[in-house]
Amino acid sequence: MTTDVTKESGTPVPGAAAGDTVLETSGVTLRFGGLTCLDNVDLEMRRGEILAVIGPNGAGKTSLFNSLTGAYTPQEGRITFRSTDGREHQLLGRKPHVVNRLGLARTFQNIRLFGALTALENVKIAAETRLKAGPISVMCGLPNARRAERESDERAHELLRFVGIEDKLNELAASLSYGDQRSLEIARALATRPQVLLLDEPAAGTNPTEKLELEQLIRRINSELGVSVLLIEHDMRLVMSVADRVLVLSFGKKIAEGAPAEVQRHPAVIEAYLGTSADDAAAVENIIAEQHESGETSNE
Amino acid sequence: MSSVDTSAGLNRTAAAAAKLRHRAWYQQPRYQRLGAMVALGLLLTLVTGEQGSTDDLFGAIEADFTGPTVWVCLAITVGLWALREFVDEPVRRGWESVRSGVGGPANKVSAQVRKDPRLRWGLIALVLAVAIFLPSGLERYWQTVLVDQIAVYALLAIGLNIVIGWAGLLDLGFFAFFAVGAYSTAYWTGRLPVEPPVELNNFWVIPIAVVTCLLAGLLLGAPTLRLRGDYLAIVTLGFHEIVYLIAKNADGFTNGPSGARLVPDFSIDIGGFSYEWSLDPIPYWYLMLGFIVLLIILFARLEHSRIGRAWTAIREDEVAAAANGVNTVKYKLMAFAIGASTSGIAGVVYTSKVGYINPESFLLLYSILVLSYVIFGGMGSIPGVLIGAAFLVWLPEALRDYVDPQDRYMYLGALLVVMMIYRPQGVWPSRRRQRELKMAEEGMGDADAMSEPAGGKFS
Ligand SMILES: Nc1ncnc2c1ncn2[C@@H]1O[C@H](COP(=O)(O)OP(=O)(O)OP(=O)(O)O)[C@@H](O)[C@H]1O
Ligand SMILES: [Mg+2]
Repeated sequence: MTTDVTKESGTPVPGAAAGDTVLETSGVTLRFGGLTCLDNVDLEMRRGEILAVIGPNGAGKTSLFNSLTGAYTPQEGRITFRSTDGREHQLLGRKPHVVNRLGLARTFQNIRLFGALTALENVKIAAETRLKAGPISVMCGLPNARRAERESDERAHELLRFVGIEDKLNELAASLSYGDQRSLEIARALATRPQVLLLDEPAAGTNPTEKLELEQLIRRINSELGVSVLLIEHDMRLVMSVADRVLVLSFGKKIAEGAPAEVQRHPAVIEAYLGTSADDAAAVENIIAEQHESGETSNE
Repeated sequence: MSSVDTSAGLNRTAAAAAKLRHRAWYQQPRYQRLGAMVALGLLLTLVTGEQGSTDDLFGAIEADFTGPTVWVCLAITVGLWALREFVDEPVRRGWESVRSGVGGPANKVSAQVRKDPRLRWGLIALVLAVAIFLPSGLERYWQTVLVDQIAVYALLAIGLNIVIGWAGLLDLGFFAFFAVGAYSTAYWTGRLPVEPPVELNNFWVIPIAVVTCLLAGLLLGAPTLRLRGDYLAIVTLGFHEIVYLIAKNADGFTNGPSGARLVPDFSIDIGGFSYEWSLDPIPYWYLMLGFIVLLIILFARLEHSRIGRAWTAIREDEVAAAANGVNTVKYKLMAFAIGASTSGIAGVVYTSKVGYINPESFLLLYSILVLSYVIFGGMGSIPGVLIGAAFLVWLPEALRDYVDPQDRYMYLGALLVVMMIYRPQGVWPSRRRQRELKMAEEGMGDADAMSEPAGGKFS
């Protein structure tokens, strides 16, 4: 596989050692009316790691992504992003495109491609947001506009090769298979040169072979491109095999965090997430009751 | 209960059910269609018949329905109905064979033109040659229509195409920028009650009008482009009304209802060579053609550049575009401003050519008309909107000789209705737009910039 992309996106530059914190949230609370969707969530993501976020349906995982990327604005808390040049940015309340430029790219749970455009064009749009060529130079066909066009073209080709769909670059995004659409969405996100990539259930709806390829792809994004990955996934096998650490959300609260094996054994996780027995059901009820109380107190 | 009773009961129920299932003849779709066609025939009689007058309120109706027209109209519509209902099959087969006979080669030709750049350039050269040489052979009346209307609306359509066709912003007040351009011309040539700092040649007014419209576009766009779809449409509608009312009521600045007169023509005076465009439409046609060609060259580059792609992305899925780093507000503003300045150029040229303006030249109707030209021709495609503007401006003028002049726009309306039902993508749609429309029909995509995709806004 080519590693051309690696050079540009860059392994972490000196001054930002691998292992320091790249993304940190503290006390993030998001409410919709009376519903507390995220409740005091603290998260710390180290540079270069693959961190998985798991939790039952409706736990608030996607809401967490939306809060990190500027689509939602949590009422309380702080979200700090430490970029490779060592600078800190507060992400709370920033517009989505600003967050993206700073270095966080995401995919969506329901794939959101530009369906009437080709795969290549989809990736180019994302690659171009970092290039500079205004309308005047484009209209007059100035050299810098042509250079930008060439650059984005090359980069899009590289990325499509990287995710393994370079043979479909002229096909319409909407006509690709489900697995290829997932890959294309990842390529598009990578085209913005992120430092952190947020993947929202990338394995949903893919078949076993595609799942294996996806696992490989996530590893390569992490190791070859040096991109930290925040991964939401329901597929436990995938999570356990790729994640360095796992964070468990339930009803908007972080209930556990740690190495995959540890988390798997954690009683609260078994209760809230994997639980199937009558005892577990009771435990879930308790959590719901707790949730209710805390919801009420926080409303007062 | 005995078994005899039961079977009788069953029979009764079955009969009742059959009665419920039975539909009277007038409930059948076929005869409902007949009813509709008869109504259409009567409507046609009224429309094509005598002009009414207030003295004799029902005179026209009486004349229409006692004369022969009503029978002719009914014969046409009912005949059509009978044709459709009873000899539909042969007609349809004939149509299909014609379609496959013509459609195959036509598709081949269009694919060829798309693939082969030489052919495309040849076609463009041909169109240009016609545009250059044909008008001098026309009657004076048609020359005037060509310059005062077709060329002006073509320019406007090219501008609006950027806003609605490429960026997907529904702008119902596009003509307001035309008014801004027109009043800029009147101001800078000293034809308004307020004196300009210097009186300028019309050519110098163009860049100034472009900048003015750009600023007006930004001024309107900056606070409103966060709004989506229908809200934006209403805001732009309001903007048009505001501009119109300012033109009408700000007597001290715009000269109120009487507007500006005797706006000078374009003229050139460079080192001994001087030329003045005058009443003759032909030189103005060449000037307009120059502007149109220049703008097409500039804008065609935009469509397939990063900017055109960003517009398409915003149109298709604004949330995804923003998540991938596209500054959606900036790009929308850009589309708005570029469109507005094109409209401004059209305003300058129109005002110089015609020589007078007043607020009634800038009615809301014209905004709607430009919009319909763009949609009719095919949103997002430059040849499409040119065809749309040229044909729909030409049509009412051509009808002038055949129908009651007051009814001309009714035929235009009917044409638009039919077009939107049978060919919503327009005469010559852009390929991106056509694909979006097709995907929306198949329920795959989201051609409508206003609606949200399934599954919520941000998941
Ligand atoms: N925009 C919104 N308005 C109101 N409620 C919302 C909104 N977005 C999310 N929620 C609610 O927040 C809760 C968490 O939703 P979220 O989509 O984050 O769950 P999730 O963990 O991603 O679930 P899944 O595994 O099904 O994707 C749900 O109860 C949801 O209904
Ligand atoms: Mg989710």
